[in-house]
Amino acid sequence: MTTHRYRTPALGALAAASVLALVGCAGANTGATGTASAGTPVAGGALTVEFWPDNAAFSCVDPFQTYWIEHRQVIRNVADSLTDQDPETGEIVPWLATDWTVSDDGLTYTFDLRDDVTFSDGTAFTAQSVVTALDNDAQTLADVPGAYGGVYIAGYASSNAVDEHTVEVHFTTPNAAFLQGTSTTNLAILAAASYEKTPEERCLGDVIGSGPFTLDSYKPGEGIDLTKREGYAWASELNAHQGEAYLDSVHINYVAEDSVRVGDLTSGASDIAWPRNPFTPEDAALLTSSGATIESRALPGPSYAFYPNVTDGHPLSDPLVRDALQKAIDRETYAATIYGPDYPVVEGAFDSTTPFFVSEADKLAYDPDGAAELLNEAGWTLEDGATYRTKDGQTLTIVEPITAESPGDVLLQDQLKQIGIQLELTVFQASERASIIANGNYDLIATYYTRADPGVLQWILDDRYSGSKALAANAQSAETAQQIKDLFDQGLEETDFSARADVYAQLQDLLIDEGVSFPVFERVQQAATASDVHGFRFTSESFLSYYDIWKDAS
Amino acid sequence: MFRYVLGRVGQAVLVLWAAYTVTFVILYLLPSDPVALQLSANNIEVDSLTQAQREQAAARLGLDRPVWEQYLSLLLAALRGDFGTSFAKGLPVSELLAQRLPGTVTLSIIAIGLSLVFGTALAVFATWLPKGPAATFLRRVPAAGVSVPNFWIGLLLIQVFAFTLGWLPATGDTGPQSLVLPAVTMAIPTSAVLAQVLVRSFDDTLSEPYIATARAKGLSRWAVQLRHAFRNAALPTLTILGLLVGATVTGSIVVETVFSRNGVGRLAQESVLAQDIPVVQAIVVIAAAAFVVVNLVVDLLYPLLDPRIAHTPKVSRA
Repeated sequence: MTTHRYRTPALGALAAASVLALVGCAGANTGATGTASAGTPVAGGALTVEFWPDNAAFSCVDPFQTYWIEHRQVIRNVADSLTDQDPETGEIVPWLATDWTVSDDGLTYTFDLRDDVTFSDGTAFTAQSVVTALDNDAQTLADVPGAYGGVYIAGYASSNAVDEHTVEVHFTTPNAAFLQGTSTTNLAILAAASYEKTPEERCLGDVIGSGPFTLDSYKPGEGIDLTKREGYAWASELNAHQGEAYLDSVHINYVAEDSVRVGDLTSGASDIAWPRNPFTPEDAALLTSSGATIESRALPGPSYAFYPNVTDGHPLSDPLVRDALQKAIDRETYAATIYGPDYPVVEGAFDSTTPFFVSEADKLAYDPDGAAELLNEAGWTLEDGATYRTKDGQTLTIVEPITAESPGDVLLQDQLKQIGIQLELTVFQASERASIIANGNYDLIATYYTRADPGVLQWILDDRYSGSKALAANAQSAETAQQIKDLFDQGLEETDFSARADVYAQLQDLLIDEGVSFPVFERVQQAATASDVHGFRFTSESFLSYYDIWKDAS
Repeated sequence: MFRYVLGRVGQAVLVLWAAYTVTFVILYLLPSDPVALQLSANNIEVDSLTQAQREQAAARLGLDRPVWEQYLSLLLAALRGDFGTSFAKGLPVSELLAQRLPGTVTLSIIAIGLSLVFGTALAVFATWLPKGPAATFLRRVPAAGVSVPNFWIGLLLIQVFAFTLGWLPATGDTGPQSLVLPAVTMAIPTSAVLAQVLVRSFDDTLSEPYIATARAKGLSRWAVQLRHAFRNAALPTLTILGLLVGATVTGSIVVETVFSRNGVGRLAQESVLAQDIPVVQAIVVIAAAAFVVVNLVVDLLYPLLDPRIAHTPKVSRA
């Protein structure tokens, strides 16, 4: 979905609906620009950030429960995690934990903790805090089935404090991605007082962390206020400075209209504009001409991709047709047309910022002749004068359910038409998604996840963990599914970096070779910063850290 | 008169009950349940939960009971003023409305006030002017006002008065100055409708014989227009005004989205999308109540403005 400068309420509603189904998208149209950090940082000042509309389906800033990118971003600045992840290398580095070891069987993690950390309510951060946090996370998952953080604690058994500043975490099954999980906002450690509240109360802002800012108030749909935490002294090494944050306060407003968000930034009413969809080329031009800087970074995790339905009776059950489809998508044209000439072209089943990413660009090259040849071989032939291919009187039709038609869908429809495949776009309500998938009334369905670890794809494709059992089962043959599961398991059991890299490289090859993932575009997070804002930094999950940000003294 | 009012109140109660019930039925007829929708937003389909987890999720939202039982208990609670708890926002609906309603009500009242002023001024002036290009132009203005999309007017006003001139804020609900642009945006289509109707009834009234008499007495055009014609011409406008109150509810969805105001209009839109039944129910009932009350007041005002109209129980009037 592209941004609409003038969006009618109906379009806004549809956009929201598409997000509900997580078939929205992201991308960028301008190249990344360097962070402007001229001069010496100045402490003080208030930062105004404008987000796109708040999550209408789930008002929640509880780290463990929320999946909403903007909520997670705010949490990143309020609550600290045991570890941090380097956005450049994907390496896990110390934060609240100074060091850690993993047992040989992968079932026990031992963390050594900092001894100088306090929560904003004054209580000390100890090994018991970690035990309380993880036990309550597991309890929240039991109370609220489907809570997002469940992704990160698969196989969690228990944890115990070895001494004041050492904690052991036990698993029933190996979970190598847990270490990366400890760096995410979802496993951020809150003060014991927060866990005495109900999950609903935490959602609405009863969140006490040890971060560089404190959460003053969360008004769903309206805004969030943060104040600098006095005495903060435990930033991770990934930040540009240590000690307290520069800003005195941060004010977040939810602004529904893209053009208003852009106008507020150019007219000085806000400091940072944070859209979900990339800026249109016109907005980008307006922003840069006003002196604003556009920052962009791909969101880690699976790229925006289609997952097929390969069950019997569907055209994509034939591997030749899947190969042909892979060749029939012109990804370069897609990126340039939908998001602008400088937009990155997707190169694999994962976005390029995902750790262990391997480029599959050569296999994803546009090859209409090759696609036509494969389809002929598969028996789908083009009669003279016909637009679409047929086989035994059947038209080669591929059904894609969508919540709202976007220019990208129409472009793909046209690309496939050129080689005789009919892409049928069926519009559905977000609430119908489950039944469409369960009944297999589709050939392609789009989805994604944002997490800086390739194991996250298990939540789409591995039916032991997937959000939809039916989607996972439909997307791959039984044989392929077993191969993919084995690779996921190896990836989670291998704690050696290069061995994991090897496993995930095999996985990425397999996803493309077997036609399990049909990448369409790279998901890119963009943000525009006013000319007097410096120290902008994306975290490994492409969230914004407010910690290093400072503004010119006015 | 007393019996008339009593009958009207009875009707109003019936309308409210019908609105409540129809909303409930529609929301239940939608092809999916709110549990699936909430999970789906979290990238989890309901088929991946175990039966026990599914039941637990439904029980959290009070959706584990039979439909009729849910309906009755919701209705009984609603009669006591308790609309339950929002599925999506985790807050009691009454609290949610207490947060969101004042902003929308203030905005609507100001918008209606502005519509009255703009609409009446335009109609009076357009019909007062002697025939000519200026009068023709003014008579065409309402058609334009009705046709131009609301959100576009809003964005245009923001562009000029917020971004270019910097006089007024573009977003938020931060005080009187943040009400100006949204209220004007909301008032433009409604005042255009009012003006259209008023121009038409001025034309009718001004061709009545008693106007000719008034003119023959040597009264000025203004005196004829305001003292003699206006009171009679205003009657149909009053009916329209009752309908426009309903229009402000839908208008607020657009205006609150454009101006990033956190009001009931936005809440309604979000809640329908999230199939947040308790919130939608409450908003429908409140909107219906406002509509019913305003129309009742309008009906009771008629005899005051025009003594020829008297309410008798046998005769029903719009």
